[in-house]
Formats: sequence, structure tokens, C-alpha cells
Amino acid sequence: MSDEWHRLLGLALVFVPISLFSFGGGGSVVAEIAHQSVAVHGWTSPNEFADLFAISRAAPGPGTMLSALIGWQVAGWAGALAASAALYIPPSLLVYAVGRLWGRWRGSAWHAAVERGLAPIAAGLVLAGGIAVLRVTPGGLGTWAAAAAAAALLMRWPRLNPLVLFAGSGALFGLAAQFG
Amino acid sequence: MPLPALFAAFLRLGLMSFGGGTDGWVYRDIVERRHWLDERAFATGVALSRVMPGSGGVNLTVHVGRLLRGGAGAVVAALGLISGPLVVVIVLAVLYARIAGNPAVHAVLAGAAAAAVGLNLATGLKLAGYGDRSIGPLAVTLATVLAVGVLHWPMVPVIIGLAPVSIGLAFRQAKRQGGGDV
Repeated sequence: MSDEWHRLLGLALVFVPISLFSFGGGGSVVAEIAHQSVAVHGWTSPNEFADLFAISRAAPGPGTMLSALIGWQVAGWAGALAASAALYIPPSLLVYAVGRLWGRWRGSAWHAAVERGLAPIAAGLVLAGGIAVLRVTPGGLGTWAAAAAAAALLMRWPRLNPLVLFAGSGALFGLAAQFG
Repeated sequence: MPLPALFAAFLRLGLMSFGGGTDGWVYRDIVERRHWLDERAFATGVALSRVMPGSGGVNLTVHVGRLLRGGAGAVVAALGLISGPLVVVIVLAVLYARIAGNPAVHAVLAGAAAAAVGLNLATGLKLAGYGDRSIGPLAVTLATVLAVGVLHWPMVPVIIGLAPVSIGLAFRQAKRQGGGDV
């Protein structure tokens, strides 16, 4: 086996098991990714890992781009794709299968009751997810105030484009850092 | 639904999802704007995507893609969601060495991320208020926020513990309204 294939296989062997244990979202396995990447495989130094983590938090997307960055570091674009595939495909197959099974029972009274019962939990999970992100975003009270203000504006004016708020808030924070 | 339209919709959603805000964008775009999905199907998708391992945003996208266009829809929507950010994050990594020393860059990113959380909070509040506004479901929402968001209890056991209570409440409510249609 060539060196390239060997590295890609190494990425897959690390990220497939991690993907299946990432309960509660990608954030729950960052510590394990760090351990594998720094201590076990030596793919990154501790400082490089911290940088990659910061970059993955700044980028848009599903918040689990850290694995793509590590893959990229190890084997370029092929590595980024291999790590992403290893991380996303196994949980996606599970969701696909369970969702399909669930759809088969549509129409029964208990199916509707379960869906109605899950809705308030889903609402709570979305809110809790927002709080979790705020806790790790640097910026202290200002971060919470900006999030609350953006939420209030979007509730009051639903047609408002959120990207305008993102840009405005980013600009405010940038100015505060420069002159504050 | 044409697959290219599905791909384009999720490519856009992926590129706009900052700070883990995929749920908020899917709700805003797919439910509110395009009406491809109703609130209940969305909420079920969110619950399913969070109880399964993996990224909540990718899981929700796979589920929504499947509902809209079967297996091909799930694959195309997920590829759309991931491909844009994948390119962006690697471009950022290449540029990082040049911008890492500038504190203003970090502040701008933190500010944008904070507003992105605002979108998610607004989505959670809308979901909490869309259906049954009686005290039971609101208490379940509050308990979920408290357990997962404030006390940091592990998400899966919390969902497994609260789901029977909440489903029981929905059953009782349905009976009170006269059975049949829940």
C-alpha cells in the first residue's frame, strides 16, 4: 500500500469510531480528536491543534470542520475528504435508517403523539445549543447581549436577513476591540 | 423536487451557518420561506438529529433531504451543506498564518458568532410557541434548556428521560380534544 493510502486509512480508522460516539454533536468529541491527533498519531503539535480548532470555529458550516482540517494537514485535499467522509457517513446512515423506519408508522395516533411530544424537547435542545455556543465564544457579557438582541430583532421582524445582523454584530465587536 | 434545487438550497444554508446555526437556517429557509416542510416534521427532525451521534446540522440535513427526495435527496442535501464550508475552512487555514496575530479579526468573528446564536435562540423560541402553548409543553422546553444548557447534563439521557413525559402529555391533550386527530 502506498504511503498516501496508508495515511488516508489512518484518518478513517480514527474518525469512523469517533463519529459513532459523538453524541450531543461534534463538540462532544473534540477532546478525543485532540488526543488522537496530538498524542497517538502526531498529526499536529498541541499549538497547531489549537489553531485548527480556532479556524474550525470561525468557519461557517456544521461546526465539525475540525476533522477536515486535520485531514488536510495530514494528506491535503484527499485527507480533508477522507476525514469528512469518515466523520459524516456513519451517523448519516443511522439517521437515514431510523428516520425511514419512523416514517413507516405515519398515520397512527401514537406516531402523531410522539411527534407532538418531541417538539417541546426539540425547542429546548435548540435553545440549549445556543447557550452552549455562547459559553465558549470569547467576549463575555457583550456576546450574550448581542445574541439576545439578534434574537429579539428576528422575533420582532422575521423578514430581517440574519446575515445583516451577523455583519453588524461582527463590525461592532471589531470596533470595540480596536478602540475599546 | 429537482435535485439541483435541493443542492443549491443546502449549499446556501451551509455557507450561512455560523456558530452551529444550521437548525435556525433550515427552519427559516426550508420551513418558513419555501414551505417544503411543516413545523412538526422539522421539530421531529431536530429531535432525531440530536439523539443520534454525529453533527446535529448534518443529521438534520440528511433527514430533511430524505423526506423531500428520498435517498438521492439525503445524499445531495448533505453534500450541499458540507461542500461550501469545507472549501471555506481550508482557505481560512491557508490564510490563517497572516491574520492570526490581529485581535480585531478574532473580535469580528466572535461578534458574528454571537449574532448567529441569536438566530438559533429565535428559532427555539418560535418552536416552543408554535403548537400547544399550555403549561406542560413549556415546562418540558424549560426543563430541557435547564438540564442540557445550564446544568450540562448529557443530552441523550435527558432526552430519553423527558420524552415519555412529554409524549404522555401530548396523548392526554389529544384525548381531551376528542381523540382521533392528535
